[in-house]
Amino acid sequence: MKRWTRWFPLALALTLLVLSVYPLWATGYGVRVMLQLFMWIALAQSWNLISGLTGYVSFGHVAFFGMGSYTTAILVVKGMAWPLAAVAGGVMAVVLAFVIGWPCLRLKGPYFAIAMLGLNEVLRVMASYFEGLTGGGLGLSLPTLDASVRIYYAMGLVALAVTALTYLIVTSRFGLRLMTIREDEVAAEAMGIDTFRYKIYAFLLSAAAPGIVGGLAARDMGYIEPISVFPLVTTITMIVMVLFGGKGTIWGPVLGAVILFTLQELVWAHFPHAHQVLLGAIIVTVVLVMPRGILGVLQQKYNLPRTV
Amino acid sequence: MTPHITPVMLGQVIVSGLLAGALYAMVALGLGLIFGVMRVLNVAHGPLLMLGAYITYGLFAAVGLNPYLSLLVSMPVVFVIGVALQHFLVRRVVDAPELSSLLLTFGISIALVNFAQLAFTSDLRSVEFITGSFLIGPFAFSKARVIACLFAAAITALAFLFLQKTRLGKAIRAVSQSREVAQVCGINVHRIHMLAFGLASALAAAGGTLMTVMVAIQPEMGAVYTFKSFLVIVLGGAGNYPGALLGGLLLGLVEQLASLFLTTQVNEAVAYVLLVLVLLLRPTGLLGGRAT
Repeated sequence: MKRWTRWFPLALALTLLVLSVYPLWATGYGVRVMLQLFMWIALAQSWNLISGLTGYVSFGHVAFFGMGSYTTAILVVKGMAWPLAAVAGGVMAVVLAFVIGWPCLRLKGPYFAIAMLGLNEVLRVMASYFEGLTGGGLGLSLPTLDASVRIYYAMGLVALAVTALTYLIVTSRFGLRLMTIREDEVAAEAMGIDTFRYKIYAFLLSAAAPGIVGGLAARDMGYIEPISVFPLVTTITMIVMVLFGGKGTIWGPVLGAVILFTLQELVWAHFPHAHQVLLGAIIVTVVLVMPRGILGVLQQKYNLPRTV
Repeated sequence: MTPHITPVMLGQVIVSGLLAGALYAMVALGLGLIFGVMRVLNVAHGPLLMLGAYITYGLFAAVGLNPYLSLLVSMPVVFVIGVALQHFLVRRVVDAPELSSLLLTFGISIALVNFAQLAFTSDLRSVEFITGSFLIGPFAFSKARVIACLFAAAITALAFLFLQKTRLGKAIRAVSQSREVAQVCGINVHRIHMLAFGLASALAAAGGTLMTVMVAIQPEMGAVYTFKSFLVIVLGGAGNYPGALLGGLLLGLVEQLASLFLTTQVNEAVAYVLLVLVLLLRPTGLLGGRAT
């Protein structure tokens, strides 16, 4: 454990340094790949904030991604600078989270999970319906702009920020409250925790990054349509990454995102059809065999601190 | 937008809503059964319905079997699948925190949908068996919907008879009231869980089979029924089986009434708005259920 605490910050600093100069010598393709990895880290980390910490499963987190994408795309088309528009995307995602969270998080049980399951479908329908604003099924084209390097840094910043936020939360009293809700909500209430308030806080925080990242992704792709920004598979991938890496931990989602993203790029790209059977099988296996994920298993085996 | 709504239209819509609602009620009864007995929300309920639909489609396309007769195949087959799912997978998370069972059944549902995509491709399929409508006075009712409603009502009635009158049915209700006490009384809880999961799956499959003659079949058709079934349970009150019937009819009515004013696309969102409203205003359901 001593050894860990010594070399871990060092390795982290080195990784960040390498990543921050990476675009100087990387190919355009390399930058795009890393940018997507950052996106997945931010998404997985966000899902972990609500579902990993409080135990309230969000089956539709991609809804916030899509909300951010559309907000940003519409604002960019109207002439706003993309970084500002992406932030606006994050704000809109938080507003949406509030509208959904207010009725659903007051209750215990699976109400929240099901509400999130339906949300994505509804938003996709809405995006197709309000053609004047969203272009409907035809989608929206953003003005061309070569900004991958800037988007790379923006994505990296968001991923870093959510990870730092998770660290702050997990090591704080706020995080302890969230984890108490996960372990036993009735006991949490008996201890005087206003569970509804903290669940809502966690949910709002978990919606912000997907909104921003969705906006950045929209700028990067240059074209969005309802199917491309509300895919169920994105939610599934987020969930698998977190479960695989270790839910409720700080670095688990990062680990899961890196491993799964690498596998996806190298291996699964060749078997696109059976992709989801594999993801489904991973979820079932992880839930049954190692519910704490890779990092959880490592923590237990080597007696690592919770913050690693 | 329809500026003039005549009484005939209204009557037509109300009956259509009740016809659709009977089907919702039957499917939701299955989801409610699992939820009541195990406190597990089965996210794979809709995909099991989808399997039932594909079994019927497969038999119709291959040997031309009457879709209504194929209930005799789809229900037992999916019953067995449900029992197996419970025995091998879901059993292990019944006592775990909710997160585990939700994620597990979600994983199962993804795998089922992708399996259907591999086996049947994502093309839309349909079973053209009964077309046309019954004309009664000024009303016209699609024959397929009327027959589906009758079958759904009969199957639901049988399921209720089973739950109310038979020893096994009583055992299921006992387990859903208190698992520990049921166990003390000598009820094999694991077997009751398997039976409940199997029955629930069979009800979903019946829904799928009856739908084949009315709607397009495709691998992703299920998710929306998981959602709607849950809404029906919420409307009726969780753990309240007769409530599920009322909830189903109500959902059918509201959807059909909304279709008078809204275009089909936005109509999809009606069930969603309804869920949010009910959770806000009356989270214990209309008839009142267990406290949450």
